[in-house]
Amino acid sequence: MKKSENFSPEESLQLIQTMIAKTQKDMGENSKHFLLWGWVTFAACIGQFILKHLLQYQKHYFVWLLVFPAAIVSIYLGITEEKKQRVRSYIGDSMKNLWLGMGISYFVLSMILTRLGWNTNIFPFFILLYGLGTFVSGMFLHFRPMVLGGLAAWVLAITAGYFNYDYQMLFGAAAILVSYIIPAYMLQSKNKVAKQ
Amino acid sequence: MFKELDPILHSQLRLAIMSLLIGVKEAEFIFLKEKTNATAGNLSVQINKLKDAGYLEVLKQFHNNYPQTICKISPNGIKAFEMYVKALQSYMNPGGNL
Repeated sequence: MKKSENFSPEESLQLIQTMIAKTQKDMGENSKHFLLWGWVTFAACIGQFILKHLLQYQKHYFVWLLVFPAAIVSIYLGITEEKKQRVRSYIGDSMKNLWLGMGISYFVLSMILTRLGWNTNIFPFFILLYGLGTFVSGMFLHFRPMVLGGLAAWVLAITAGYFNYDYQMLFGAAAILVSYIIPAYMLQSKNKVAKQ
Repeated sequence: MFKELDPILHSQLRLAIMSLLIGVKEAEFIFLKEKTNATAGNLSVQINKLKDAGYLEVLKQFHNNYPQTICKISPNGIKAFEMYVKALQSYMNPGGNL
């Protein structure tokens, strides 16, 4: 870069815009976590429906044990990303804090339901949280498909309340598909195009 | 009326550094070098000038046994950057002055 001060105001503004654009967070990084949790949750919802409703298997809820290896993979991904990170952005920090809070909320809700009983119509509350996490993430990332996915999850949360426990699992799967999985693939695709 | 351009910021590399840092919490030296395509020596000199002017905070530490330099824009730096941009705008929109 030239040390000369002989550059015009227009060039200065152009330089500022170019540099700011270079700090735009690599949005594709976020998609890995959405895809991991999206597919695990989707598989668990569908799996539990098959086991409970179609096969009448008593211990249908065991599919949710998938959450534990997913958590380990998620933590590992987070640690490796942190090591490679050369810049801390406000959005990055906000996303980390949001999903830390979401993780704690899922855990707290599980503890509450362990006390109140899991046989009640509990899925709408989890779907509500799916919507919250993705709606806010979409707003942080200025990524409309995720915002719309979050809104759709909230509609599905309300609608799920009109159905029995078994079919609520399908609403859960649908909510994860529209709020996590589809937007995550779109985010990945957008990032690939931006890098070309 | 044309406003005076801050000579500390009216330098391509220093302006590039400040522009990179204005939108983030903090960034490593390596990140700044990669984005500005500057040499390590020149980048270091300009960062020190900005630090001496009070526009940047620089933290040197070790990470995994390697030296690490982290830069962050200071509140004075943010004010100076904002004033610089406003001054630039006075050149772009001279208010009828030709």
